[in-house]
Amino acid sequence: MKPYAPLFVLLCALLLAAAPGVLPPFYVRVGQITLYSAALGTAWAIPGGFAGYGSFGNAAFIGVGAFAAGLTENQFASLSPPLALLLGLGAGAAACAILSAAIAYPILRLRGTFFAIAMLGVSHVCSELNNNVDALQGSLGLNFPAVTMANLAPEAFFYELYLIAGLAVLCVAWLIQRSRFGAGLLAIREDEDTARMLGVPTERYKRIAFFVSAVLTGLLGVIYAHSLGYITTDSVYRDDTNLNLVVFSLLGGMGTLFGPAIGAFLLVFVTQVVLGRLLDFHLFATGLLLVILVLAAPSGILGFVRTRTRRRSAMAPAE
Amino acid sequence: MIQQTLADGLVLGGIYALSAVGFSLIFGVLHVINLSHGILVLIGAYLALTFSRMLQIDPLLTVPLVMAVLFVIGYAYQRFLIQYAVDRSRLGSMLLTFGVALMLQNIMIWVFSPDMKNITPSYAFVSFHIAGLTFDAVRVSALAASLVLLGCLAALLKYSPLGRVIRATAQQTLAARLCGVNVRHVYALTFAVSAAFAGAAGIVIGIILPFSPADESMWTLNAFVVVVLGGIGSPAGALIGGLLLGLASTLTAQYIGPAFPNVTMFMLLVLMLLVRPNGLLGNAFSASR
Repeated sequence: MKPYAPLFVLLCALLLAAAPGVLPPFYVRVGQITLYSAALGTAWAIPGGFAGYGSFGNAAFIGVGAFAAGLTENQFASLSPPLALLLGLGAGAAACAILSAAIAYPILRLRGTFFAIAMLGVSHVCSELNNNVDALQGSLGLNFPAVTMANLAPEAFFYELYLIAGLAVLCVAWLIQRSRFGAGLLAIREDEDTARMLGVPTERYKRIAFFVSAVLTGLLGVIYAHSLGYITTDSVYRDDTNLNLVVFSLLGGMGTLFGPAIGAFLLVFVTQVVLGRLLDFHLFATGLLLVILVLAAPSGILGFVRTRTRRRSAMAPAE
Repeated sequence: MIQQTLADGLVLGGIYALSAVGFSLIFGVLHVINLSHGILVLIGAYLALTFSRMLQIDPLLTVPLVMAVLFVIGYAYQRFLIQYAVDRSRLGSMLLTFGVALMLQNIMIWVFSPDMKNITPSYAFVSFHIAGLTFDAVRVSALAASLVLLGCLAALLKYSPLGRVIRATAQQTLAARLCGVNVRHVYALTFAVSAAFAGAAGIVIGIILPFSPADESMWTLNAFVVVVLGGIGSPAGALIGGLLLGLASTLTAQYIGPAFPNVTMFMLLVLMLLVRPNGLLGNAFSASR
């Protein structure tokens, strides 16, 4: 991490925070999706990029968080909006904490592809149960109370909320990356068995990373549900979210701090703005992008840039 | 009642097994998770629909034709696209196949429309009774075709020179290369064989179930579950896994609720991954890595 990076991030954040004042509502909405995706991608990358445990099922936490929040808030309908949101965030985080703690031990014994697909299984099981157990109201849908402030347009309010959440997630990821814990995760990614032999508490580290990522994803899910206002199972447990989280890291740079955010910005920009009018062409273009990406820049944009600069300056700043 | 459910489950299981065997072979030999497998299955179904209408023949008679077309497609697909990603990373090849799946799904929507289609053979509504159980002619012929094709593949792998080379490459790629095996060619041939069997599975599926371009992920996931249950890289493993999955889903639909087969399926998947990641008939070369 270079010394000017925090300043740069702060500057970007300030610019982004001012954006809803000048942009038309459509672009504020695109900005919301971008920030949401960037935050989700960064949360995914804590176990996924740092430790090499890429999950294909993080939508499980989005859904569980959102539904836990909605069901709790509907129990206490008389609360004032900010309190309701706080309550929802608490409930969502708690539900994700319980779920991730419960499945962490068995599921983290799997590695690589098997872990990824098992997580996809978890996501589908949660989704189906949520849809078919009547008390959870998955197929009926849940309404969320309006939590926006009177003096701020709803899209701008959620935009700023996502921005704050995104910065918080980035901050957590940064703190993890520079800590002893983050170094341990990196060791797990490089060679788990050797790391364990050398005294890295791999099991505990993996579980903590998984847990942190799940709770952050759940919190983002709660905000997402509020910004939609009404959710069904299909709107939160989405397989395209499951996939996109992997693509963000791959696009930006696997295992880097800013990679997922950069990837999310690019992908959302391409799919929402450039291809927004070509709905028939959407799947094809996304697929083509993936193919080109895997063949041309397998280590992502940051990786691509880094190899270029390294070749030029011959000094290798190891991350 | 229970006998009828079990019989239905076995019929369904045979079809699951055929639809998964290609996926299993690619996984076992190339170590690539082919997320475009479901698309290959659907291409088979659409080709059978087109051919049987064009030539006015029974859909099951189009099997050789469809398999030949998919063999060529599979060979080219592996040789000119996937091969470039195989050497780099596991995730890369998986995402590549996913990208291709998205593109082909979109093309299929353009060409065949997103509507549900089905192939209706002339004997679609015939059924007969054995020992008090009802069997549809369609399902029985589908099951018979599945078992015959699985048998053919098993024989091909066991006795033919191609099968021997494929098995050798799967067990020890380096040693096979040292013995003069052209590994890239074998990879492409394996992929071609897998694609051909996926296409054949598509025909069988098309006869008994309606299908649409959006189904592809379902067939890919089914294949994955079957492979994890049964074991990677062998027709016998696929058969066991398929039958288990078929039984589990019909039993769940019958006794727990029609909405829950997928829950059981994924619970079985997760459980199996935890207890025995090699599958019931897993071999050493397919260890979880």
